[in-house]
Amino acid sequence: MIKYILKRLVMLIPVILVTSFLIFWAMSLTGGDPALQIAGDKATPEQVEQIREELGLNDPFLVRYAKYMAGMVTGDMGQSYVTKRDVFKTFMERLPNTLMLGGAAVLIAVLVSLPLGIYTAIHQNTWKDTAGMIFALFGTSMPNFWLGLMLIIIFSLTLGWLPSGGKTGFASLILPAVTVGFGLAALITRTTRSSMLDVLRQDYMTTARAKGCSEKRVIYTHGLKNALIPIITAIGLQMSLVITGSVLAETVFSWPGIGRLVYDSISKRDTPMVTGSIILCSVLMCIINLVVDLIYAFFDPRIKAQYSKKG
Amino acid sequence: MKKTIALLLCLVMLVGVLAGCGGSGGGSGSSADKKVLRIGTEADIDNLNLQTQQNAINNVVLKNTHQTLVFFNNGSRGDDVRFDPCLATDWTFEDDTHILMHLRDDVHFNDEAKTPMTAEDVKFTLDMAMDNLVATALAGYVGCEIVDDYTIRIEIETYNNEFVQSLASVPLSIQSKKAYDDGVEDPYYIGTGPYKFDEWVEGEYCRLVKVEDYWGNDLPADDNLAPGASDVIEFRPYIEASSRVIALQTGEIDVCVNPPINELQYLEEDENVTVYEQPGTRLFYFAFNVTKEPWDNQTLRQAVACAIDRDAVLQAAVYGKGTPQTTILNRGLWGFYDDMEGFDYDVDRAKSLMAEAGYPNGGISTTLSYSNGAPYEQIATVIQANLKAIGIDVTLSPMEEATHKSNCVDGGQELFLWRWNEDSKVDFVYRDLFYTGSGSNYHHYSDAHADELIDKVATEKDQDVRLAAAKELQEYLVDACPQVPLYIANLVIAYNKNLQGTYLYGGGNHDWRHAYVAD
Repeated sequence: MIKYILKRLVMLIPVILVTSFLIFWAMSLTGGDPALQIAGDKATPEQVEQIREELGLNDPFLVRYAKYMAGMVTGDMGQSYVTKRDVFKTFMERLPNTLMLGGAAVLIAVLVSLPLGIYTAIHQNTWKDTAGMIFALFGTSMPNFWLGLMLIIIFSLTLGWLPSGGKTGFASLILPAVTVGFGLAALITRTTRSSMLDVLRQDYMTTARAKGCSEKRVIYTHGLKNALIPIITAIGLQMSLVITGSVLAETVFSWPGIGRLVYDSISKRDTPMVTGSIILCSVLMCIINLVVDLIYAFFDPRIKAQYSKKG
Repeated sequence: MKKTIALLLCLVMLVGVLAGCGGSGGGSGSSADKKVLRIGTEADIDNLNLQTQQNAINNVVLKNTHQTLVFFNNGSRGDDVRFDPCLATDWTFEDDTHILMHLRDDVHFNDEAKTPMTAEDVKFTLDMAMDNLVATALAGYVGCEIVDDYTIRIEIETYNNEFVQSLASVPLSIQSKKAYDDGVEDPYYIGTGPYKFDEWVEGEYCRLVKVEDYWGNDLPADDNLAPGASDVIEFRPYIEASSRVIALQTGEIDVCVNPPINELQYLEEDENVTVYEQPGTRLFYFAFNVTKEPWDNQTLRQAVACAIDRDAVLQAAVYGKGTPQTTILNRGLWGFYDDMEGFDYDVDRAKSLMAEAGYPNGGISTTLSYSNGAPYEQIATVIQANLKAIGIDVTLSPMEEATHKSNCVDGGQELFLWRWNEDSKVDFVYRDLFYTGSGSNYHHYSDAHADELIDKVATEKDQDVRLAAAKELQEYLVDACPQVPLYIANLVIAYNKNLQGTYLYGGGNHDWRHAYVAD
């Protein structure tokens, strides 16, 4: 198992190389001169040229990439063009906020979607199932930008229960987490339902009932446990997406997370910040995927045995 | 066992979330915090090192913690004097290239030792500026000689009417030489202003606290350099405009900078909110790359200018909250002159000029480039329809601002939309936008006579002659028509109805030092 984990960690190296190259390349293809952004409207052409020279922007693409990677090897992810701050430090300052939002959103999603998915599967083709699926469809198709604003209008402006934005305490986490969690809940509900439907048709479920197990035990012990692998996969994937993809919710709720950091950095052509952040996000996604794989083993001894063999 | 572990994991996650959320400071704007002024900004504060940053929002924060030699007032006094003494008490030109400046002798920095501010600090700050981005603001500076502790002599390359005004630029605020010499971490945080930095969490807030032993504590409340009014000023970025509006209505912030015009009615209906509007300085314009055919044809440019309905543009862009403009200079600047004939909306005249330019039937296809989003999209749509009426087919080409800017610098655009905000120096308009080879001259316009007039406005000592040159320059540039000025947007700001002591600038660089929320 440990060997398997180490192997997966070593695989991060090609991921970092490919990701950094692609991002560097994409940033160089994007129009917009970083030096012009840094210099501001009133800079002279000479000043802009001086900034280009200082930042090495006149070097060929491969030279710039090689220099960047040389810094990476020594643990230096560079400085932001705009803020002049260390990229790694800035990213790590924002990371807890994103993990907090992502964690809370996934928690809300799981608490809502697991029972709902199971319930709709058990009551397949009844009005209860239809109602659950309408909820799921609603959640999947509703833009979270719009949902966020609606929640702000109801819970902040009208009822005055919760702050509308910023990170000012636990209360300020509720609305963004519900906004992001609602979309996730819809997706996980559908996955749970279909996975449970598959399991409910299996022979061992009939056997369990024939042996006299209570319906509750049949569903939660024999059914849910076997249905969990696709659900965990869905949750893991969603967690990865939430970390990098909550930019809309972060913007609406003024939540200082990574999504907003990357978005702002792209618009300012802050190449070191964009590249560094995306590399770190890739690493984070790999780690989340690894954790998901390890959770498989926790729930399914067959998978654990496979890992041990691979290791 | 596994259930217990799973339960524990959930518990740890929840506790982590709760713990992480707690105590980030600030609260959510309870009514008990009367001494705290919370300002909702439209952009993130991204760099507080005075001389290496360029963003207006950073300057608004730094105005509270640092002070300049000269203070640029907002013109609300009604006189023509816009530059007042600040850390400098007076200044005189000894000759064309030397300015003798006396400094206040009672100022100290907000460090533990209360280090006095002296001529050494001024020289240090100005010399350092020449190696930084802010050197543009100090164009013409040669050096600074320390005459005594509180007197300096500044040498400039040539006489310039606006050099002293340059010293009012926030990035040129005086910094502590000692802090740099002593290797203090982030020495640029140390200023002489009535506030000092308490905490800045990027993306969340920047909190300033009132300096207890501020050097100007004994100054009367109506003095520009008087102590701060609020105990704490917090700047909180609310990038999404609607969220910023709601945050004001819920009392989480006291000031909503730049509320979206289409949501003003909600704010106006709110009895706890004041919506304030005054003439602004930000000029939005339509322009030509005059090096590209057929836009190198002056008469054709004039025809296009006549075809543009500025009132319709103003209505579409900002619901009429602004002033249509004829001249190329930002409203409120010295020598502003808008009474020339210009090119008002007149389709018949436009058609006649088209014929004169050699295009009697139109038949021109071209591209209009602009930055994504409001108000450019609305402006572009109106102009596209306007130009269709005189036979010009316009393809709209919206793009991200950084790309648009690079494209304009490289001269890849044909027609374009841009904006310019300047409220203190006319040279930052004439020279930056129209002088041959200037970095922001996206028109790529080059004209020896215009350059000569721009230099004359900058260096002519006889103010009557200078004013005549400024008038001639504006008439000349409007006629040459590298640019069609569209409108100046009004400054619109919304705030808590109990907010007192506001000091607002048409250009948006507001001064919050003396603002507070009354009980």
